[in-house]
Amino acid sequence: MTSARSTLADTQQWLQSALLFPERVDASEAAQHLAPSAPLSALEHLAIYQRSYRVRLETCLREQFPVLCHALGCDLFNDFTREYLRACPPESYTLHDLGRRFADYLERERPDRAGGEGQQPWIDFIIDLARLERQLFVLFDAEGHEGEALAGPSTPDERLALGRGVVLGEYRFPVGAYHHDVRNGREPGEPLPERSWIALVRKDYTNQIIPIGGLPHAFLGFMRAGAGVREAMERAAGAFDLSVDEVERAWRGPGGTRERWIEAGMFVTKS
Amino acid sequence: MRLERPERRGRLRLTLPRRALGLGLRTPHVDDILERWPTVDWFEAISENYIDSAGRPRAILRRIAERYPVSLHGVSLSIGSTAPLDRNYLARLKRLVDELQPVTVSDHLCWTGVGGLNSHDLLPLPLTEEALSHVAGRVLAVQDVLGRPLALENPSSYLRFTHSTLEEPVFLRALCEATGCELLLDINNVHVTCQNTGGDPALYLEAIPWDRVVQMHLAGHEDCGTHLVDTHGQPVAPEVWSLYELGWRLGGGAPTLLERDSNIPAFDECLAELRLAERHRAGVQAAEACA
Repeated sequence: MTSARSTLADTQQWLQSALLFPERVDASEAAQHLAPSAPLSALEHLAIYQRSYRVRLETCLREQFPVLCHALGCDLFNDFTREYLRACPPESYTLHDLGRRFADYLERERPDRAGGEGQQPWIDFIIDLARLERQLFVLFDAEGHEGEALAGPSTPDERLALGRGVVLGEYRFPVGAYHHDVRNGREPGEPLPERSWIALVRKDYTNQIIPIGGLPHAFLGFMRAGAGVREAMERAAGAFDLSVDEVERAWRGPGGTRERWIEAGMFVTKS
Repeated sequence: MRLERPERRGRLRLTLPRRALGLGLRTPHVDDILERWPTVDWFEAISENYIDSAGRPRAILRRIAERYPVSLHGVSLSIGSTAPLDRNYLARLKRLVDELQPVTVSDHLCWTGVGGLNSHDLLPLPLTEEALSHVAGRVLAVQDVLGRPLALENPSSYLRFTHSTLEEPVFLRALCEATGCELLLDINNVHVTCQNTGGDPALYLEAIPWDRVVQMHLAGHEDCGTHLVDTHGQPVAPEVWSLYELGWRLGGGAPTLLERDSNIPAFDECLAELRLAERHRAGVQAAEACA
């Protein structure tokens, strides 16, 4: 506790601690620092800030994870975010970073971590969903293809490069489809475990979720790491014990991935 | 618009006419603005919504800045914090300022966190000589980075420290004198703070150094019975309009901006509310003509 003649630094430490840990402040301590008014005690004045701190950040997290909030229900989501904010109070000047550690926090503090019945699949689902929503949120403001030439159907393979606005994801649940359904007003049930792969693509400032398979995920991953189309095909074929011809047919055939992905804006033209 | 040479710097800078009326730029209004390019004197953008954006928000702001003067209004500078200035934040803000050439760059007389944390709230300062000296040093440092005066807004406060020794307008005046900074006078905040901490808003306005006021803000608040909360979610209250008129009588007015952050109405409704400012200013003029 600090005295009423606190330095500025002391005062700020005290008030910040009072916001983060409201239960640690009593009326007499508040009265040492804060003046009462006719309608409110010092502690009640402090409580205005304590409440607004919590409500502002919880509201912000609901906005950053709307589908997760839908999946959990508001009450449970709020319970998770309240604990998250206590464990990981915001550090950045920007609220964009507020949810940065949320999925890792859920993984670290998963409710089934101490249980003797093994991991519960629904917790994997909410962690995956949190990761997906964070990726989408970040992608919205990240560097996209703007300033680079998007590839077209006639761009030769040798000049294709994966655009900056493409993020690859791998999940234990089909969270992409679940996210899509909720955002389109449907009420999907909790999905069953099933590995899924997604390419998140920002084209013309709009995010898209493109479901892909494991092989395309590997192929695009190799391209992300710097491989050209031919090398990525060879490495993906090797990883999946396929011939390069089989991979190439999926890439180049009618309605193949090449055509669809170029249309989706996944590739830019290398100079 | 006209170009003026700020006192502390040699560079020319666009300034707004005294009677200019502006709106806070909000996402739900973007389509209206881009489709109609409505008659508004300027838009104010919240700096933090754009400084890290390489996506749609920044692209839209660039387009708007091609057509309108823009001001940048921040919430994360934490000018009163005893933590070191966030140089990373300042560098990013400077880049945005250089890109947009805003008519003003402002933030709040407040702090947001210490010890590596950020509450994302505009926390009040104890109004003491120590705080004044501390804030003045930081304002000078920020102005050096930005290469232009910083405007500081009076925050809405919900508490008063027992060891405060200065009234807020006195603090602001001294800060302006020490640093050459400018003031963004939020009329609603004057009302909210005075109601919550027992001050007299008329005396507050009388003590303001009006020659340093480069903008006025108007917004709505919520009456919670025991206190007022600066929600920016309601129309401007009649008491706040009265204070606005008093501000015009006392200080001769300044470019005025309407903010709305929740319960955001349609663009035209916001514009209509903004235009009410003209009517209130006309009332002041008429009263002065009769006097």
